[in-house]
Amino acid sequence: MGLITEKLPPVLEAIPGGPAMLTSIDAVINWARSNSLWPLTFGTSCCAIEVMMAAGASNHDLARFGAEVARASPRQADLLVVAGTIVKRMAPTLKMLYEQMAEPKYVIATGACAISGGPFIYESYSTVRGAHEVIPVDVYVPGCPPRPEAFFYGILTLQKMIREETIRKPGSRSKPVYSALPPGITLEQIRKELIQNGK
Amino acid sequence: MMNSQELTSAVLSLDPKMVALEKVDRPAVSVPVDALVKTMQALHDSPKLKFDMLCAHTAVDRLAAGQIELVYQLYSTEHRHYLMVSCQVSRENAIAPSVSKIWRIAEWQEREVYDMFGVRYTGHPDLRRVLLDDAWVGFPLRKDYKDDFMLERPW
Repeated sequence: MGLITEKLPPVLEAIPGGPAMLTSIDAVINWARSNSLWPLTFGTSCCAIEVMMAAGASNHDLARFGAEVARASPRQADLLVVAGTIVKRMAPTLKMLYEQMAEPKYVIATGACAISGGPFIYESYSTVRGAHEVIPVDVYVPGCPPRPEAFFYGILTLQKMIREETIRKPGSRSKPVYSALPPGITLEQIRKELIQNGK
Repeated sequence: MMNSQELTSAVLSLDPKMVALEKVDRPAVSVPVDALVKTMQALHDSPKLKFDMLCAHTAVDRLAAGQIELVYQLYSTEHRHYLMVSCQVSRENAIAPSVSKIWRIAEWQEREVYDMFGVRYTGHPDLRRVLLDDAWVGFPLRKDYKDDFMLERPW
């Protein structure tokens, strides 16, 4: 696999007509990667139950997305699902697990706590305000906890992001995406509303 | 099996300085701190009561009264009854005797109360922080705890 993704692109770009073949190879590799994401569930809190239900319950079944192989070891996983609150004591472990994963690796931050600290933003002495303070996140799935359907929407968004990658630029990430936002509303509106309601 | 009236009166007969608490949903007594260990030993050993399990030990920070209330939840596996024992220590000088010689689990539970409230236990074999880093400064669950990391609510 490393032969194709590392040695092939410079060779193909040199010959005439090569880049067109690269796009086809890109399509196959991205299809394979997006449809076989192996999650390393990092379930710390209540969102872990929702991810477990999404993965295992028979109504919502993660196997139809090819992601049912949830490995416990970061060496064998390529998707880190941060499901739950990250506290200061857990942050070094999260960073260590992320660094132990091999490229290409993706991160989904599920639930309000992993996005921004959730219900524990204010007046908490130990909650890290969002998993992005520790590791780079690709997809945010809002909810407290998000329903399994919302989690699947996040997985599908990640699959769409993966399909836009190219082996000519390995490791380049598109900007993180807030999945499952309803259409016709922006983040700024939500933020203003929250502060307004808080008052 | 005693009902809660009999239990409370049996417990109160152990030590004259104990007081039954009102407005609680379970048998509860309050003990002054200097009689704590003797009373706990008697509660543990007395054959009619036999509280051999310390289910939980927490503290409540009563900022207005200037005291920290230590709360012990006891359970007897033999007679199957519960008891709550409460004890007040002052906030400035929060020192209490350790009951870890009676129930071994109190070692970690008292470490947690020390970590969160700053109550020092005399006679404790290994009193150090259990949840936070050893280098943490301050006792977070006290009501007047503030540090630079905490965000204040904007409303």
